[in-house]
Amino acid sequence: MKHHYSTVRITFLISVLIVLLFFLTVTSLFAAAPLPQAEIMRLGERMYREGILPSGTPMPAFIRGDIEVDSRSFSCSSCHLRAGLGSFEGGVVTPPTTGNKLYKPYRRPPSLGDKSDQAGRFIYAKTVLERPAYTRESLATAMRFGTDPSGQTFNDVMPRYPLSDHDMYILISYLEELSSKPSPGANSGEFKFATIISDDVNQEDRQTLLMPLEKFIAQKNQQMGMYNDFIKFGYTPTADMQFAFRKASLDIWELRGPPETWKEQLTTYQNNNPVFAVLGGISNLDWRPIHDFCEAERLPCLFPITDFPVVSETGWYTYYFNKGYAQEGEAVASYLNRLETLPIRTTILQIIQDSPVGKTLASGFQNSWNELGRPAVITKTLTTNELRNKATLGKLLKKYKPGVLLLWTDAELLTNLPKLISQLSDPKMVFVSSGYLGNKTSTIVEASRNKVYITFPFRLTPYVGPKTGGFDAKVPILTGSKDFGDRRIASRSTTMLQQATLQGLNLIYDNLQRDHLFDVMSMQMDVVVRDYERLSFGSGQRYVSKGCYIIQLGPGVEPTLLPKSGWVIH
Amino acid sequence: MRLQFIIIVPFLLLILMAIFLPATSAHAVSKSYKRTVEKYNIPDIALVNQDGKKVRLQSLLTGDSPVVVDFIYGTCTTICPVLSAGFVNLQGKLAVTSQKARLVSITIDPENDTPKVLKEYLKRYHAKPGWDFLTGSRTDIDIVMRAFNAYIPDKMSHYPLNMIRSPKDGSWIRLFGIMSSREFMEEYQSAIVKQ
Repeated sequence: MKHHYSTVRITFLISVLIVLLFFLTVTSLFAAAPLPQAEIMRLGERMYREGILPSGTPMPAFIRGDIEVDSRSFSCSSCHLRAGLGSFEGGVVTPPTTGNKLYKPYRRPPSLGDKSDQAGRFIYAKTVLERPAYTRESLATAMRFGTDPSGQTFNDVMPRYPLSDHDMYILISYLEELSSKPSPGANSGEFKFATIISDDVNQEDRQTLLMPLEKFIAQKNQQMGMYNDFIKFGYTPTADMQFAFRKASLDIWELRGPPETWKEQLTTYQNNNPVFAVLGGISNLDWRPIHDFCEAERLPCLFPITDFPVVSETGWYTYYFNKGYAQEGEAVASYLNRLETLPIRTTILQIIQDSPVGKTLASGFQNSWNELGRPAVITKTLTTNELRNKATLGKLLKKYKPGVLLLWTDAELLTNLPKLISQLSDPKMVFVSSGYLGNKTSTIVEASRNKVYITFPFRLTPYVGPKTGGFDAKVPILTGSKDFGDRRIASRSTTMLQQATLQGLNLIYDNLQRDHLFDVMSMQMDVVVRDYERLSFGSGQRYVSKGCYIIQLGPGVEPTLLPKSGWVIH
Repeated sequence: MRLQFIIIVPFLLLILMAIFLPATSAHAVSKSYKRTVEKYNIPDIALVNQDGKKVRLQSLLTGDSPVVVDFIYGTCTTICPVLSAGFVNLQGKLAVTSQKARLVSITIDPENDTPKVLKEYLKRYHAKPGWDFLTGSRTDIDIVMRAFNAYIPDKMSHYPLNMIRSPKDGSWIRLFGIMSSREFMEEYQSAIVKQ
């Protein structure tokens, strides 16, 4: 018995030590890190988004029980997304990880990896997991050991992070602040929007842009009035219903004068009346000043009508339809790269009209051509006057004897095409941009059409409308030569509004954070729309239409468009 | 004291058995993933790898060494990083024993996943030679997905799937779900010794 008592005593002492150790760990965890708040947020954001510890080394992490992963390629924001409000991907529900959500009880819908019932079926009610609110301590335990406060083990895809107290403190502090406040320009009852128009846009294009936008705002407010009437007459809405009905307003941010002054103008607009997001917009000039402003202000800009978007792999706050002229240039590079019939030693001559359009087309081609590891092509930039001088071009062709001519010029040169083609070596291919040639594209003389290859970044196959019906569902639309030069302002603005509302604003509920809007929009399925073969999305993808056909023209004054490539060329 | 001991021990044993035996047997039969053995006809099409080179799928997926295939995409948030971590781990473990596995990831987002995107993805995961990431036209990718009975109309509705080809008889072990590295390695080894 004496032996028994000594065992009990030892056990008791060990237990006391464990409790003490735990207590010390916990207290040291949250008494630590004497850093300024801004620095804690910076370091926490880096841990969350990039998987890098405050020391600069990768965060250690383990998944699937025993696989060590490099958190730089699999950070918290990879699954919980930038706003921290979670995701649904590959059947896996990733719950929110913001302080607002973590420190409250939570019910998680069924997810891949949940236990099924005995018959192997997943029963919704049984697989909804409930957990009580986290505390800082239980949150640290969760991240280290993968168990929630009720003792339930996380799905194996959630990494376990053996973080030090100091690092854990920083990460938890960041999560507590993440998406803790609504973004400017939104509250539970209202969204404020703006659209941007620069003063180079003509009156007709301006009105074409504004018409669907103003209609949209009117409809939102009409719905709001209807919703208020329902309540007035005794209807009791469900808790979620309020999120579908909000007032909306639209400011028009007019940009005047040179683009160097736009930033200041935009700042004044935003300071005077902050908006939640910019819905579309239009400019014929480089979109960069607006892009940079939106990046700096973390202000969403959704699908502006521009042929000069900023081509960037890290830009976050602007969704573009595509890369504009740069995408046409890229398509030519990809097409030539894959053209097996092109003799290896073929000389490629690139003629660039000294204009923003010409230069953007050329830079799209050159960047892509370089990335493909192809040797530099001969490039000549000519003024408009030099281009009009037939002798200048003739000399260039005589000197270089190109087999492929990239003609990044406007339509003035089209009448000269047969002569130019006759001066080329085999295979005598000329590439032009339908965007630059506009509605003159279809005037390419018939005798030259089998030698002229045209970039065309829009849909060719019939558009038959959404499967669910709609006013245009029964009217297949086939793109034809009449669409050359059409800026598609009304149709693309309508697409933008469908995207912004159905796949974005209607789904963010009471999480009024701009980053969350992007997170939600990036998780949507591909869509088929009026102007493009397909829009596709994904985390960080910002150019939703990836395709551009290379076409030739059939005979006649309203020629058929003959695709010579697929929509996307690899 | 001795009498108490004699009485208590069988009870303790019974309790221990009650606790551990069902758990052990349940563990043995219940895996976190679903395993089947399948036969697939690999289509004779050309896809493009991370270096921009065209590769014939049939010749890549057949041969004397085992091949592991998965369907992922470059901007995937949850499942693909987990599957790819499994590939990295498998490569590392096999390297220890000087075994070489052929790992093939096929994109389900061919529009966005250019060879450049594929290459950067592999670099991000510190992939070693022997792991190829393929893209192609949407039509061809659809054909491949269908050949593996893994067709999904949209990348957002994909699921975790690995397939291991046995060089012995050309059959494929189809693994649906998330596995530990130990389980993945065991399945891989079983493909090698398969008769």
